[in-house]
Amino acid sequence: MTRHHPDSLSLMEYSAGNLSEPHALCIRLHLDKCPHCRSRVDTLDSLGAVMMEEQPKVSVSESMFDDILARISAEPELEPVKPSLPKVGVLEKLLGEDLNSLPWKRQLGDVSVLDISEKFPDQKEQVVLQKLAAGGKAPAHTHRGEETTIVLQGAFADQKGVFNQWDFVVLTDQDEHKPVAVGCEDCITLSVLSAPVKLTGTFTRLLNPFLR
Amino acid sequence: MTTLEQKPAKAEGRKDPWSQLLDKVGKHQDREAYHALFEHFGPQIKYYAMANGLASHAEELVQEVFVSIWRRSCLYDWRKAAASTWIFTIARNQRIDMLRKMQRTSAEMQVETEDLWQIPGENENEPVTSLHRLMSERRIRDSLKHLPEEQITVIAKVYMENKSHQMVADELDIPLGTVKSRVRLALNKLKVILQDQNV
Repeated sequence: MTRHHPDSLSLMEYSAGNLSEPHALCIRLHLDKCPHCRSRVDTLDSLGAVMMEEQPKVSVSESMFDDILARISAEPELEPVKPSLPKVGVLEKLLGEDLNSLPWKRQLGDVSVLDISEKFPDQKEQVVLQKLAAGGKAPAHTHRGEETTIVLQGAFADQKGVFNQWDFVVLTDQDEHKPVAVGCEDCITLSVLSAPVKLTGTFTRLLNPFLR
Repeated sequence: MTTLEQKPAKAEGRKDPWSQLLDKVGKHQDREAYHALFEHFGPQIKYYAMANGLASHAEELVQEVFVSIWRRSCLYDWRKAAASTWIFTIARNQRIDMLRKMQRTSAEMQVETEDLWQIPGENENEPVTSLHRLMSERRIRDSLKHLPEEQITVIAKVYMENKSHQMVADELDIPLGTVKSRVRLALNKLKVILQDQNV
């Protein structure tokens, strides 16, 4: 059961369809595992429906319904969609089945990273997978701008608490933290960075995977 | 399913007219019901497209949304979402999809729009909670009447004009913090935030 949830404002931007693709991915991954937030998003989707209903209406052209009927009748292959079981999750689609066997790049000590920004070619943000070896520590760092993170495997702890699988956390330049992987699994997270991470420890240049 | 068969009268009573129509489209490919939905939601979706900067593609979006409604209607379960909520999310997804296709520079999209934006009630493991769903939509409609204009304006810009909280702040020339607090106040009254506290 996840303990750390996206805030209502982020869920609202998700429901309105205003988030960038990488941010929407983080929310979606959380929603898939969190009935509580799914129910919040359902309520927000209803808010969207009511807003749409309250707005002015613009009449559509006379012939449009016939055009639509022609389309749904003319395409015989237009079978109704069936729920595809079992559904391939978006994570698996993006990264394959085994997160542990990705081409990780070892940074230093316990930290490995993999930049997957190229999977979102038209997006501005940097999208990075980070792996902290079981029991390992990451160097202390703050964040420039905002970093949205979701835990994909294992768990990490910092001064704010323990973050388990599918937990959701947003860090800003106000948050300096020093995460430690807890439990017996490597901790893998997906992070969306609006600006690069800034190291506060001694190895600044050397360690920072996000500085050019 | 069983609930519906055991207590047909009571179940029918909970279904709003649009959900009943959408149900008919899904179960029987009922074109009359489909037409009634088109008459009601078509003009709303056309405005939605225009407000979202898709003025020259507004009718195209309405068409795409209705073709999508037809295709997906067999997945619709009125006990899991009201028709208007379900149709709003289809319109939102088609709008995102259209913009993605127009803006895309690379050949292939690795992630489909629907991998990112969910349609309510399509999660297989979701328990059936019809009463909760329908009450929530009714409650929102009632609470919205009592919200101050400035809160409704902000919410309308977020939902209808595809504007982030930051963009709304820039446009209204007010601090981002003010936009966020207006949204929080509104969501509080709409009981979205209240649910945060039950975590």
